[in-house]
Amino acid sequence: MRKKKNTFRRPVIIKNQKQPEAQLSVDPITGKKIPKSFVFSRGKLPVPLKQLQMDLRKLMLPYTALSLKEKKRNNLRDFLNVAGPMGVTHFLILSKTAASPYLRVATTPQGPTLTFKIQEYALAADIAKSQLHPRCPKDLFKNSALIVLSGFVSGDLHLRLTTNMFQNIFPTIDVKTVKLTSCQRIVLLNYNKDTKLIDFRHYSIRLQPIGVSRRIRKLVQSHQVPDLKNLQDVSDFVTKAGYGSESEADEEAATVTLSSDIGRVNRASTKSAVRLQEIGPRMTLQLVRIEKGLCSGEVLFSEFASGKAGDKENSDDKMQDDNNEDSEGGDDDDQDGEDSEGGDDDDQDDEELD
Amino acid sequence: MADKMQVVEPGRGLGKRNIGKKQGRKKSSKKQKVMQPPHGQKKVKINQKMKKLYHKRAREYNSDDDEDETVAPATRRPRGVVPIKKQKREEDDIENEELSEDEGGQRMQKKNVTDKKVHFSEDEEEEEEEGEIQPGITKFTEGCKAFKMSFRSIIKKSVSDELLGPVLSAHKNLVIEKLAEEETERKVKGEAKKEKLLLAEKGHVIPEKFLNSHEKFLISVATKGVVKLFNAVNKAQVAQKGLDPSKNRDAKELRKRTKEAFFSELGKPASRTSVKANASTSKEEDEQPAWAPLRDNYMLTSSRIKDWDKKMPGKNVSDDNEKASEDSSSDED
Repeated sequence: MRKKKNTFRRPVIIKNQKQPEAQLSVDPITGKKIPKSFVFSRGKLPVPLKQLQMDLRKLMLPYTALSLKEKKRNNLRDFLNVAGPMGVTHFLILSKTAASPYLRVATTPQGPTLTFKIQEYALAADIAKSQLHPRCPKDLFKNSALIVLSGFVSGDLHLRLTTNMFQNIFPTIDVKTVKLTSCQRIVLLNYNKDTKLIDFRHYSIRLQPIGVSRRIRKLVQSHQVPDLKNLQDVSDFVTKAGYGSESEADEEAATVTLSSDIGRVNRASTKSAVRLQEIGPRMTLQLVRIEKGLCSGEVLFSEFASGKAGDKENSDDKMQDDNNEDSEGGDDDDQDGEDSEGGDDDDQDDEELD
Repeated sequence: MADKMQVVEPGRGLGKRNIGKKQGRKKSSKKQKVMQPPHGQKKVKINQKMKKLYHKRAREYNSDDDEDETVAPATRRPRGVVPIKKQKREEDDIENEELSEDEGGQRMQKKNVTDKKVHFSEDEEEEEEEGEIQPGITKFTEGCKAFKMSFRSIIKKSVSDELLGPVLSAHKNLVIEKLAEEETERKVKGEAKKEKLLLAEKGHVIPEKFLNSHEKFLISVATKGVVKLFNAVNKAQVAQKGLDPSKNRDAKELRKRTKEAFFSELGKPASRTSVKANASTSKEEDEQPAWAPLRDNYMLTSSRIKDWDKKMPGKNVSDDNEKASEDSSSDED
């Protein structure tokens, strides 16, 4: 008798063997299970979406399969079969229809599946191009990103589920032991109540000492000899006020006192400013559907269905969409008003982070 | 056709003679000795081969010329006559060569003269043809001339400056139609491609070069989050700094402090934590934060104590709740 033909085809996985930490399934300090993820696609993707997939993989580093090779014949079960022994807890699945690209976020093996419609997206390369000085330090992707969720109202079930899902995608942080140097990136999910859209952003964190003039900071950071040919005396270099950028003025909100040294410039117990610079993909997501199973099963929530969500929401949604397009300036005002709310949410988020 | 016949016949003649020669060995040997010098000279041999080659080439050239000049019908008749003469001539040639090389050259000349005489009697065209064929090199040059002429005539031709170039008039319309079809096809294909590209790029937005207000807002939100986290980390880690966790008293105090700090930070009563069990289901996220940091707190205090890890394997740590960790720390003491 011949064996049954190919009931299971294994997707090729090339894991980075250099990082032994990546193989750990349990955090050595907190003892929590480290979430790992696969980012892959179903169906054929056009080139920009493939790039987006790669960007998402980078975003999920280090606990993801960066060079996961999928084949046309690989079905979901194949990935699921691999996920078990490798300790993969989350799937991020990109797909594309004629209408728009979709992102599904699922927990394995039975998890709920959230389906997001990607309204807009920009690749990491696009964002780097749009910046004057794109920043990418060497060890940017060596540690997992922090996550900040804001604007999610805990009242709605589907939003709670969403927040929970995204919190669990990234490893939890222990406030007592975490090294500040390992906090290099942050993923922001901002829920807009009015448009019901989720802004997905990915920033790099940079710390700068406060109270030091820009020139001296630059001198310390870069080991180059400064250009002194226009100065009469060395003291001019220190005393002469450099131009200050607008962002440097409103620093008070973004200052922290550090508990430990970060790099050569940011010393412990000195004040430092937190600067964020966008990296990685940018997406505007719309939660479309929540399924109980892994890409199957009972539909818990659907944006367009007439079930729980109701026709009211649907009509409201359309109205709001129109409004949103009409008045962007008005939006900003709203956002300012929401700031206090956002702060509250942040509180929650941080607790969850901890 | 005629040429081939010519080629074969002289061979036969040779064979016959050879047989005759073989009868007397001495004679043949002598003859061979005589024959050798020509090999050295190579003149004769080359002549023979060259002749054949030239004949062939000349024939081809001439035939082309004939067709080009549209005199073919007139020439075809005499051709039938010519080959026979040629055969005779060539046989003569071969005989001459075999008999005596020295004489051969002279004889050739003679023969040419005789041939020419013969040909003069015939048509002029015929004569020309014969003349071309006869002396090998001249024939070739003649051929070159013909080629030159024809090539010139082709080049001199003025071609209409149309898009299609020189095409037979009957095909012109057809070709035009085809080209038009191709163009329309290309257009359709291009449109399809564009559509496909548009579809592929759907949702893809190139960001602006500057930060708009929405992006600024998002960044501010994110910075707030980061600042909060960093401050929390700072508080938690600075509190421990003065104390040496390896000492018993300090460890206890440390635990107390961190606990208080944490509860104050969370703004939640400590009693709630005791209620907290394993929050495994995803929907209980409200209670999770209160629970998670608390456990972290214990983990931390215990992990700071030296050799604590050795006694307690990692798995137990993760599963046990507060009491277990407290016990373990007391065991340490």
